[in-house]
Amino acid sequence: MSLVLENLTKRFGPVVALDGISFTVERGQVFGFLGANGAGKTTAMRIILDILRPDSGTATWDGTPTTDVPRRTWGYLPEERGLYPRLEVLEQLVFFASLYAIPRKVAADRAREWLARFRIPEYEKRRAEELSKGNQQKVQLIAAILHEPDVLIMDEPFVGLDPVNVSLLKEAFGEMRRRGTTLVFSTHQMEMVEELCEAVVLIDRGRLVLGGSIRDVKRASGRRVVRLGVEGDSALPWLADLEGVSVVRPGEDYTELDVRGRDPQDILRAAIDRGERVTQFLIADPSIEQVFIEYVGRAPSEDHHLAEAPR
Amino acid sequence: MSPTLATNLRNIVAVARREFVWRGRTRTFRLTTALLVLTGVGLALAPVIIRFIDRDSTGNRVEVAVGDSTPGVDVPLAFSLLLNAPAAGIPDGSDSTPDYRIESTDDVVGARARVVDGTSSALVVMSRSAGEDLEFTLYSKDPAISRQTQLIRQAASSIAIQDRLSRAGIPPVDQASLFAPPTFTLEPADPNATALVPDSGEAFASSVAISFALSILLFMAIILYGQWVAFSVAEEKNSRVMEVVLAAATPFQLLSGKVVGVGGLALAQYVIVLVPSVVAVLLQDRIAAFVLGGTSAAELPQGLSVPLLLVFGLMFVLGFALYAVLYAGAASLVSRQEDVNQIVAPLTIISVGGYLVASYAGTGLIPIDSPLVVVMSFIPFFSPYLMLTRMGLGVVSPLEVTAAILLLVAFIPVALWFAARLYRSGVLLYGQAPTPRTLLRALRNG
Repeated sequence: MSLVLENLTKRFGPVVALDGISFTVERGQVFGFLGANGAGKTTAMRIILDILRPDSGTATWDGTPTTDVPRRTWGYLPEERGLYPRLEVLEQLVFFASLYAIPRKVAADRAREWLARFRIPEYEKRRAEELSKGNQQKVQLIAAILHEPDVLIMDEPFVGLDPVNVSLLKEAFGEMRRRGTTLVFSTHQMEMVEELCEAVVLIDRGRLVLGGSIRDVKRASGRRVVRLGVEGDSALPWLADLEGVSVVRPGEDYTELDVRGRDPQDILRAAIDRGERVTQFLIADPSIEQVFIEYVGRAPSEDHHLAEAPR
Repeated sequence: MSPTLATNLRNIVAVARREFVWRGRTRTFRLTTALLVLTGVGLALAPVIIRFIDRDSTGNRVEVAVGDSTPGVDVPLAFSLLLNAPAAGIPDGSDSTPDYRIESTDDVVGARARVVDGTSSALVVMSRSAGEDLEFTLYSKDPAISRQTQLIRQAASSIAIQDRLSRAGIPPVDQASLFAPPTFTLEPADPNATALVPDSGEAFASSVAISFALSILLFMAIILYGQWVAFSVAEEKNSRVMEVVLAAATPFQLLSGKVVGVGGLALAQYVIVLVPSVVAVLLQDRIAAFVLGGTSAAELPQGLSVPLLLVFGLMFVLGFALYAVLYAGAASLVSRQEDVNQIVAPLTIISVGGYLVASYAGTGLIPIDSPLVVVMSFIPFFSPYLMLTRMGLGVVSPLEVTAAILLLVAFIPVALWFAARLYRSGVLLYGQAPTPRTLLRALRNG
């Protein structure tokens, strides 16, 4: 039971949105879909949902092309909020559910239950346009899950949410997972990926850069991260003599090092040889953020900052 | 495997239901419906209302100064008879009040002043020329081509002729019978022709008016309700609901549902507006009798038949469906509501074209049996207008009507396929210019 994308290609005029993307999402997985803005994440999602058709390649669920899979298999949370602005919350939810053949009564009961769980039961009769962005997002998520889909596909679900709502959403994820729902979502927020995902793919400009379990992805680069703390002077000038070691973050308390192509033990040995008194030594995988930067050449959050001023 | 028939139907019904219920509940819809009902009933009862307002008026006063012309006729009586004679082809209401009241006067200066201040509507001054013929001078504020001036001129000619007759020694006869119009019958030139020329001028005028009215009703429905569909598509795109809905339903289901839902509501509004108006027309005479006194019987206006109404109903549904489907497809290309009118303009022009040819054919500016009209009455975009006009004027066989309807029915799935293609390619693209080029490009990419 899995969602398989094979060799998907899609162009929009001169723009190649997807350039031969292939990957697999196992049933029940929490799957992260990473990439900078414009990398092709949304296009891939729309193809899975049969909102768009690929120029070539296939997307299958359990071996059946996704165009032929019943639409109730999928739940979709698009990046842009899409609610009827002048419609009452409960009515929209019942309408969306009716497109998946959920009877009105059942839909209304489930909708009320979820509104209560998201702590907004009083908004049942409010029009969508009267709700805050965060609350609209909750309603949007409920709309995507009322029909209890097998796969929930979410485009940037955490954007625009305050920390309280982020944790509510994470709990809802947990609940969906316990029910056996496969979760696929895209995000810029790498700490979410580390916290929630079992597997990820990283795409850049329509091409697949990296994919697999979190652990495999982190180790794919052959990099390790080492934290080294010593008593006294923390400048550690001798580190410059060690090949394959670079300082990621110098600090008073400890220094973070990027190690590639050599055993992290060498650093510990070198420190002791130089008479340092080691207070901290930790070997870890690089963060997903570091992997992202290494493969894409810039931080996933770079789009959120101003470019350098023109001179 | 594409979606099953059951899934298609379910989603079409769900989308249609939403359109129907939510749009029907809006205040705008209720207000416009109420206004249209009032307007419809008001128009239907307009003749009664006008007569009610006029019930106390004694008609326009026309003063006649005979002077020393000594005509061989009772001039005021003759003017009264001639000016108040019912005009051919124009149905006359009850006639308790004559349109014109004739008074003799000797005070020409005073009478002219009365025309100026509006208490009289005209002054006719008569004299006798050296050649012994009667001469008439009309003092009026109306132009030469006005109906009143024309009537007075005709009356003056008749009086002058009678005056010459009596001077020639022919004894004066009963004036009423002298001025009575002769029997005048119009027959088709072709002895085998059936109903090309309706048996009376009144009936012909009525058929023209009815086919004209039906074209207008159809045209308004297509433009107005077609735009409802277009706006509804643009609204969903604007609020980005489209993407959510498209994940759940196919473009085909969405388009069909929208057209069915909006069409159903349009039909409902139509019925709500038309039923009271038709009832008002039918009861017009009774209402008139009640308000104004007198008695009358109700009847359907001439030229309106049950088959014509049935075909109108069918053409309404099919014509709307065809245009609405394409309006929806075109509207899916733009993202702002203000661009909707621009992108659907080519379709609106086609619709206007059909309507114009139909109204020209209906009023005789283009012969109703010209090849242009006949060919266009089978082309799906135009047939709703033209078949209806041809039928209203009674120059079409049932076989032709059936053929036009079947062609229209067969063409709607083609339009639906075409619109779904536009929709799929256009609906997720934002910021496109509302030009025909966008339309063409979307078709190529769809």
